[in-house]
Amino acid sequence: MALLEVKDLKVHFPIRGGIFNTVVDQVKAVDGVNFSIEPGQTYGLVGESGSGKTTTGRAVIGLNKITSGDVLFEGHNLAKGGRKSHLNVRKDIQMIFQDPYSSLNPKKRVADIVAEPLRNFEKLTKKEERVRVEELMELVGLSTEAIFKYPHEFSGGQRQRIGIARAIALKPKLIIADEPVSALDVSVQAQVLNFMQEIQKELGLTYLFISHDLGIVRHICDHIGIMYKGRYVEQGASEDIFTNPQHIYTKRLVSAIPDLDPNRRESLTVKRQQAKKDFDELSDKFFDEEGLPYPLKPISDSHLVALPEKG
Amino acid sequence: METNNPNIEPPKEIERSPSGLTILWREIVRDKLALISLIFFVATTAGVFIASLLLDLNEIVKVDLFALYERPSSEFWLGTDYGGRDIFGQLIIGTRNSLAIGLLVTLMSGTIGILIGLISGYFGGTIDNIFMRFVDFFMILPTLMIVIVFVTAVPDYSIYSFSFIMTAFLWMGIARLIRSKALQERELEYVQASKTLGSSDFKIMFTQVLPNLSSIIIVTMTLNLAANIGIESGLSFLGFGFPEDTPSLGTLISYARNPQTLELRWWIWLPASILILVLMLSINNVGQALKRATDARQRRG
Repeated sequence: MALLEVKDLKVHFPIRGGIFNTVVDQVKAVDGVNFSIEPGQTYGLVGESGSGKTTTGRAVIGLNKITSGDVLFEGHNLAKGGRKSHLNVRKDIQMIFQDPYSSLNPKKRVADIVAEPLRNFEKLTKKEERVRVEELMELVGLSTEAIFKYPHEFSGGQRQRIGIARAIALKPKLIIADEPVSALDVSVQAQVLNFMQEIQKELGLTYLFISHDLGIVRHICDHIGIMYKGRYVEQGASEDIFTNPQHIYTKRLVSAIPDLDPNRRESLTVKRQQAKKDFDELSDKFFDEEGLPYPLKPISDSHLVALPEKG
Repeated sequence: METNNPNIEPPKEIERSPSGLTILWREIVRDKLALISLIFFVATTAGVFIASLLLDLNEIVKVDLFALYERPSSEFWLGTDYGGRDIFGQLIIGTRNSLAIGLLVTLMSGTIGILIGLISGYFGGTIDNIFMRFVDFFMILPTLMIVIVFVTAVPDYSIYSFSFIMTAFLWMGIARLIRSKALQERELEYVQASKTLGSSDFKIMFTQVLPNLSSIIIVTMTLNLAANIGIESGLSFLGFGFPEDTPSLGTLISYARNPQTLELRWWIWLPASILILVLMLSINNVGQALKRATDARQRRG
């Protein structure tokens, strides 16, 4: 059984206007998204800015209100009821935030930051809590003396580790990682990503990995969904997407991945220009009248593409 | 790897970064004027509160027809007023009353303002709308008129009831300030993170957001304190403050409305005027130093 199943998820934000501040229109940030994640896997959600990938992740954890659709986590429908409902289920879903600078409260010591989830869900004595926090700090590779420091005394990578320590404190099953490394510099990115993979094995975590960096996604994800304007354009195993992209949008994304080998520079440039040409010429065919992708259609067991009706 | 040399480990105290309060304190120490002001203010406050315990109010406000308008002498250090009452004693008790009202009003209006501002800023939306319309309503009321009506209507009012009525019209400014800051804070990811970690809204408001507003709260309260002392004195000067058996700085200054007193009997109104000027200046100096400390670019220390 899938750990997390998202069915026809829609998150619409109202646009208010006019004299009486009535709802005049909707921003369809997420417009009918389906996916499921198996335990122990890493699912990558990819898309450009504003494609709705972060909104999807935030809707799953309950930070954004779900307009319609179902979010099934181990059989519990999290879309029904507010943030307060299913509290005991929700503690199995945690989040790693994008910006390690604003996601830690600047006025709190690390000990308090990491202990916050423990204080909410587990009745521990001061001593037990201290031991747990020190364990977590060791797990994320920070010294246990650091727990009395404030967040701004740490570097970006260290802060992100503190964020991870906080997210894994309750031993969750699913972690939503919302662009966890995009605010870090490249040398630290690899460090944090490798570390995330290590604890995934160690603790048996499942990741919903939200990113716009295809290189990273290719490196760590088993399954990938590509989003565009709140809908899916393509979904499949990592292999399917990167070696056999079917949608012009995916093709263009994949061709944009940089390659370090200077000998391939020429051929890649040609490929990119071809992809751009295809995209410009065929976008009428691949997107409907509103410029949105069509519904997904399976082309193999694991691979779904938003191809136009005529195929 | 390094050998275990105990000297390598730096002492923990050095690693600590300055907390918010340390920064505020450091700024005051660097700014000599603010430091002197703070010492003066604390000394005056402590002085008048202790001295007023030793003085007998009934003795001071008793009319003594044999000592009208006495000049300052060894018996009456600052002379007497038209009722033969000792000005020095009145000055001490008056300062205590004025300070007490100022402090009470600042604390009460601060508490109400912080609560309402925090709730409406944190929740936003409809709750914010309701609270802010409520605040708007209070802001358009003619405060001075209503206070004057209250003072005329209620025959026997004390420091407390006077503070309450002033508080009722002075909490809006700080509420709006705190609301605007809370609106900013709630968008930060640490608030979202706390939500995903299962903290309740009230817990997030008071243990996560409020500490981040502490410096702005301290600054505003300090500057409000000076203003509130001024408002009390202003009302007393206009004759709508305390009756004569409850001296305050404003009542002493209001004797100067009599032209003869103003011209010939300086000892009645001048000490109170100077004291209120110096007090407000020093509170303001401290407040300005604190205000600078909250902005890293303006800091001196």
